[in-house]
Amino acid sequence: MDVTEAIHGELTKCGVKLAASLPDDWVAPLIQRIAADNRIRHVRVAREAEAVAICSGAFFGGVRAVALMGATGLLTCTGELATLNLRHQIPVFLIVSQRGSIDDHRIYQEVQGRRTIPLLQAYDFPYHVIDRPDEIASIPDAFEACRLQKRPFVLFLTRRLVKGSAAA
Amino acid sequence: MLAKHRGDAVAVCALGMAANEWWAATKSEDSFYMHGAMGFAASFALGLALSLPKVPVWLINADGSLCMNLGCLLTEASQAARNLKHFVVDNGVYQTVGGLPMVNEARTDYVAIARGAGFARARSIQELDDLERQLPGIAAEDGPSFTVLRVEPESDFLRTPPMTYEGPEMKYRFGRALERRFGIEVFGPQGY
Repeated sequence: MDVTEAIHGELTKCGVKLAASLPDDWVAPLIQRIAADNRIRHVRVAREAEAVAICSGAFFGGVRAVALMGATGLLTCTGELATLNLRHQIPVFLIVSQRGSIDDHRIYQEVQGRRTIPLLQAYDFPYHVIDRPDEIASIPDAFEACRLQKRPFVLFLTRRLVKGSAAA
Repeated sequence: MLAKHRGDAVAVCALGMAANEWWAATKSEDSFYMHGAMGFAASFALGLALSLPKVPVWLINADGSLCMNLGCLLTEASQAARNLKHFVVDNGVYQTVGGLPMVNEARTDYVAIARGAGFARARSIQELDDLERQLPGIAAEDGPSFTVLRVEPESDFLRTPPMTYEGPEMKYRFGRALERRFGIEVFGPQGY
């Protein structure tokens, strides 16, 4: 079982029926896999904050949802996460590539690598990092923690997890 | 007028005067009144509509909010939710902050933008009697539809007060109202 198949399987166990996404290259294979699953309504968005608000609306329809995006996209929607989700205590589960790590040799990702987690900490948004395939089974716990904590919860996928160990 | 014709629709209101006016007219708890995330009531309404496909969802948007998230029109058009109606209250100003003019200063054709984004049903209404005549058809037609309501700006600052509850209470009143109306489970057995 490959990584995207395993993550998809855990999201299914969580009861996820809607996914809203804007890809970066690390999460694109997972998005493609989810898009091919006709049990999950997949919504492609033009801006990451749309995914946040779509998942928030789905919460009130009784539908479990996930937003998928890159770390850069996460930075673009912190205002919406704060003024919609934090303000109203609406849980939203985000799966995000942990860009800017030491094995991510993309110059345009370096700020995301240094400042994303401090930013989440400043907002008091919980997060969990999945770095190895055997940690994927923790997704249902993370999803439940998101609902319980009633706020944005970021599940980071590392480069080692989604791209393998060789940096490029 | 919109409230009179809403029928069973659940409403999602953009922050500011759109939300305040809807609250003043309906006092409804099965409506969600945005207090933040300007521009994203549209996306919230889409998520709700996709999750409750048999429930009519009316988005009461505003021109300022629409301009902050024009990309929502692409997403709405591509998702083609038959139960979603998008109304835009267009007064040409940022009413809530004192009536300052919008960036486009009335040069923009929102209907043309919606059509270009993929909406088959898009129109603008400027007169109250025209709205009264067209609303039953708009309510009955398949979505997604896009209707601009051209209105005059108010001269006063914050004339209509906001709803009397906010934050987490908004979440629980709205969620519980939908649970009662539709027999769905928004919150789990322990209330979260």
